[in-house]
Amino acid sequence: MQLFENIHIDWLKRRKIFYAVSTALFLIGVFNVAFRGFQFGIDFKGGSEIVLQFDKAVDISKVRNYVENIGLGNIEIKTFGGETGAMVRTELQEIPANIYPRVVSNIDSTIHSFYPGLPLNKVDSTSNSITYEFSNPDTTTALATKLFTAGYQAGKVSEEPDNRRMIVNVGIADWVKENLKQRMPDNPFKVIKEDHVGPKVGKELKQDAVVAVIFSLLAILIYLAFRFKFIFALGAVLALFHDVLITLGLYAALYGVIPGLNLEIDLTVVAAFLTLVGYSVNDTVIVFDRVRENLKIHKTMPLMELINASVNRTMSRTILTGGTTLIATLVLLIFGGEVLRAFAFTLFFGIIIGTYSSIFVASALVLEYANRSKKKVQF
Amino acid sequence: MKEFRFTLIIILAAIGLSLYLLYPTYKTYQNDKKINQEIDTRKTEIMQASPDISKEDLDKKLRYVEDSLKAADPTYTSTKQKSLKLGLDLQGGMRVVLEVNTGKLLEKLAKSPDDVFKQAIAQAEKEGATTDESVVDIFARILQQKGIRLSRYFGSIRDDDSKIISDLKTDADDAVSRAMEIIRNRVDQYGVSEPSIQRQGGRRVIVELPGVAREEEAKQLLQGTALLEFKLVKDRDLTISIMQKIDNVLAGKGPSGDTTSTSSTADTNKSADTTLASNDTTEKQLSKEEFAKQHPFFSIAMIDPNSKLADAYVNQDEKDKLKLMLARPDVQAVIPDNVEFDFGAKPVGYQNGKGIYKLYCVNKEPELTGGVITDAQANIDPNTSSAVVNMQMNSEGATEWARITGANIGHRIAIILDGAVYSAPNVINKIPGGNSQITGMANLEEAKLLEIVLKAGALPAPVKIIEERTVGPSLGQDSIYAGFKSTLIGYFLIAIFMILYYRRAGSIAAVSLIFTILFILGVLAGFNATLTLPGIAGIILTIGMAVDANVLIYERIREELATGKTIKASVDSGFAKANSAIVDSNITTFLTGIILYQFGSGPVQGFALTLMIGIGASLFSALVIAKVVFNIMVTKGMKISLG
Repeated sequence: MQLFENIHIDWLKRRKIFYAVSTALFLIGVFNVAFRGFQFGIDFKGGSEIVLQFDKAVDISKVRNYVENIGLGNIEIKTFGGETGAMVRTELQEIPANIYPRVVSNIDSTIHSFYPGLPLNKVDSTSNSITYEFSNPDTTTALATKLFTAGYQAGKVSEEPDNRRMIVNVGIADWVKENLKQRMPDNPFKVIKEDHVGPKVGKELKQDAVVAVIFSLLAILIYLAFRFKFIFALGAVLALFHDVLITLGLYAALYGVIPGLNLEIDLTVVAAFLTLVGYSVNDTVIVFDRVRENLKIHKTMPLMELINASVNRTMSRTILTGGTTLIATLVLLIFGGEVLRAFAFTLFFGIIIGTYSSIFVASALVLEYANRSKKKVQF
Repeated sequence: MKEFRFTLIIILAAIGLSLYLLYPTYKTYQNDKKINQEIDTRKTEIMQASPDISKEDLDKKLRYVEDSLKAADPTYTSTKQKSLKLGLDLQGGMRVVLEVNTGKLLEKLAKSPDDVFKQAIAQAEKEGATTDESVVDIFARILQQKGIRLSRYFGSIRDDDSKIISDLKTDADDAVSRAMEIIRNRVDQYGVSEPSIQRQGGRRVIVELPGVAREEEAKQLLQGTALLEFKLVKDRDLTISIMQKIDNVLAGKGPSGDTTSTSSTADTNKSADTTLASNDTTEKQLSKEEFAKQHPFFSIAMIDPNSKLADAYVNQDEKDKLKLMLARPDVQAVIPDNVEFDFGAKPVGYQNGKGIYKLYCVNKEPELTGGVITDAQANIDPNTSSAVVNMQMNSEGATEWARITGANIGHRIAIILDGAVYSAPNVINKIPGGNSQITGMANLEEAKLLEIVLKAGALPAPVKIIEERTVGPSLGQDSIYAGFKSTLIGYFLIAIFMILYYRRAGSIAAVSLIFTILFILGVLAGFNATLTLPGIAGIILTIGMAVDANVLIYERIREELATGKTIKASVDSGFAKANSAIVDSNITTFLTGIILYQFGSGPVQGFALTLMIGIGASLFSALVIAKVVFNIMVTKGMKISLG
C-alpha cells in the first residue's frame, strides 16, 4: 500500500491560506483564554480533593445537597469514573472560622456518646486541631482509640509526660467525610483518592511548569541552532509556540463543553504539553532534515521549490507517524481511564495541530525570513 | 551470517537481560496471586466458623495471615525488591510533604513568649505561607520594625540580632533532621515496605509510603509528636527465663517445658550456647532444622553465651517473624505484665548484607519521659577522644533522675523513641544535677544520632502536612487494568496498521515493537525505577512514536528503490540516509524528556523516564534489530516487500 506517492503540490504558494487558518485558530484561542480563562486543578490552585467510591450507585445531586450546606462555601462535586464514584473538591485550605464551632461541637458530642458527661477541657485549639485534656490517662488512651475507629484523626499528645492529652486533627476532607457518613448511612463509601495541596506548593508548581515549558523551548532552540541554521531553529520554535498556544486556546474553549471530559490544567496536562513540544518538533525536524539534504544536492533550485519538494517527499512519513501516534493517544483517550483523559486529549489535538504546523507553518516561516533578508540560505 | 554474528549476540544478550530482569516481577506476581488465594480461603473459613465476626476483627486476622505468609518465605521479600516497582498511583499508597512549622518551633524555643511575641509569630507565619523567605527572617524583621531586640526572647542579653538569627536558623535546620529521624523510625516500626523519606530544600520532608491501606493511621504516625522514654533494661537471668518460657510455648511444650528440658538457667545457657556455636562439637549435635524445631525462639533470637547481657540478636529478615511470635496470645500469656520486648532502632552489625538487630527486654513502665530533657549535644571528649553525648534535664527531671540512677547503679537504662531502642547505657553512678554524659558511641555520627533522638524528646519538631496525595488500592488496580488494556489495544492496532501498509517489512516493525516494550520494562526493572500510570501512558505513546523510525527508513528505502537501485543498495542507503533525521528528531524529544524529569514529581517523572527509555529502546529496535533482519534477508536473497 502506498499513499501520497509522488505528490507535487505547491504548498508554499498557498501559505497565505495557512496563515489565515492559523491566525483564526489563534484568535479563537486568545478570545477563549481571555473570556473563559483556564480551569486549574488543585495542583496549581491549592485546596483539597477527595474521591469517594460508594457501595451503591449514588445520586450526585443528593451528595451535592448534603455537602453544600456544611459551611464550606463554594464546593465542587462531580461524578468520577462510573456512577458509584464522586469527587468533592474545595479550594479552602482549612475549615473556615465561622463553622469551626460546629466541627468542635460535633467532636464533643461524639466524645459524649462514648463517655456521657465527661468534662471536656480544651487546652489548645488551632485552625486544624483541638487538644483536649482529661483527668485520667486511661480515659485519654481509650477515647483516642475510640474516636480514631469512629473516623476521626485522634491521637495522644505524646510530648507531655502524663499522657492525659488527646489531639484531634480536623481538615476539610475529614469534615466532608464525617458529614457524608452521617447523612448517607445506608450507602457507605471508601476514600479512593485524597489530595491536599497547600497554597505555597500550588504557586511553586505553577512557576515550575512555566519554567519547564520555557526551558524546553530554549533547549530545542539551542540544539536546532547548533544542528541547523539559526533561522530553522527559530522557525521550529515559533511553530511550537503556535501549537502550544492554539491547544491552550482549545482547552479554554472546550472546558465544560464535552460531558465526561474534565479539562483542568494539572501536572499531567503540563506533562502532556511538554510531550507535545517534543513530538511536534520531531515532525518539523524531519522536514528540515530533508530541506538541509536537498540544499546540498540542488544548489541552484529556488528555496520555495526546494521546500515544497521536501515537504512533499516527507508528507507520507509525516502522515503515517502522525497517524500511528494518533491511534495510540486515541486508545489512551478511550481506554486509559479517568486519570489520563485530559492528558490523552491534550496530546490528541496537540498532535493534529503539531503535524499541521510542521508541514505548513515552520517551513513557511523559514521561507518568509529568507525572502525578506534576501540572503541565500545554505549549509 | 558471520558478519552479523556480533550484532546478533548483542541483540540476544539485550533480550536475555531484559527477560532476566523481569523474571522477579513475574515471580512476585505469582507469589501475590498465591497469597491472595490463601487469604481468600482463610477468609471464607473464618466467615464460616464465626459468621458475625466484626469487620475489624476479620481484617485484623487476615492481616495476621498475610504477614505470616509473607514472613514464612524469605525469598518473597528479596524477589519483590528486585521486581518492577509500581508507583503510588498504581499500587495505592500515600505521598506526604511535611514542612517544619517554624512558628511553633520559635514559640517553643522562646524564653517568655508574651502577646507581642505571639502576634509577631502569627504575622510571620501568615507572610511565610506565600513567600520563599524564611519565617525566622520575617519574624526578625517584624520585631525590628517594632523596635524590639531578639534577645528579649532568645539567647542571652548580650547576643546581637544577627547571631540569634543564625542560631535560630540552625535550630530550624536541626528540627528538620529530627523530624526525619522521628519519621524514619516510625515508618520502620510500622513495617511499610520500601518507604522513601527524603529531605527537600531547607525545611521539607517528602515521605512516600507505598501500599499503605490504612492511610489515617499512617497520617497519624507522621504527625503526632515523638515519644521519648527511659526504661529499665531487665537483668540477664530474668530475661533469659522469660525467653525460655516463650521458647517452650512456641515449641508446644507448655510454659515450664517438659520434664526433660527444665527451665533452669543452666539448661538455658546450654541451649543459648548451641545457638551461637552450632559448630561446637559438644554434647548432642542438633542439626539446624532440629534445633529450629525444638527452640523456635532461640533459633531466631540468638544470645551471646559469653556476654553478661541477655540482649538477643535478630536478623532483619526475621524481625517480622519474631514480632508475630511475640504477638501470639499464648506467648503474651507467659510474658509478665510489666515487661515488654523492644527492638533496637538501627542494626548493630551486618551478616551477609543483612542487618542484625538487638532485642531488649525492658520494663513496660518508663522511669522518665523525654519531656524533662532541656538539651543534648554530641561531642568528642577531649580526654579520651571518644564520642560522647551530654544531656541536660530540668530541675524536676533532675530530681527524678538522681533517684533513678542512684537506685540502679550497674543496671542499664534504655533510651527509647517511639518504641525503638536507640541506646542502652549502663548507669555508672548516681547523677545528681541532671547533667549526664553518655559514652560508648563508636563515632561522632552515632553520637549525633543520639543527640537528635534525645532532642526529639525535649524539643518536638512540629511539622505540618503541606501536600498530601493518597491513592486507594482499588483505584490503583483499576489504573493498572486500564493501562494494560490500553497498551494491548494500542499495540495491536498499530501492528495491524504497519503490517497492512508495509507487508513483510511492516511485520518486522511489529515484532521489533514487542522488543521495544520488553526493553523499556527491562530497563525500568534493572534501574529500580518506578512505573507510574503516566509512565504506562508514556509506553503507549512510545508504541505510537516508535514506528516513526521504521516509517522513515521504509519510506527512504522505497524512494531508493524507485530510483532503480538494487534491493541491497536501497536497504543500505535507506538506513544510512534516514539516520540523521531519526537522530535529530529523537534528540529533541529526549531533551524535553530530561526537562520533564527535572520539573516533574512522582508520576510525571515516571512518564518522562519511560519516554526517554522508550526513545532509546525504539532506536535500538529500529536501527539495530530491524537492520540486521533486513540485512540477513537481503543476503539470503529473500524477497523484501514494502507493500
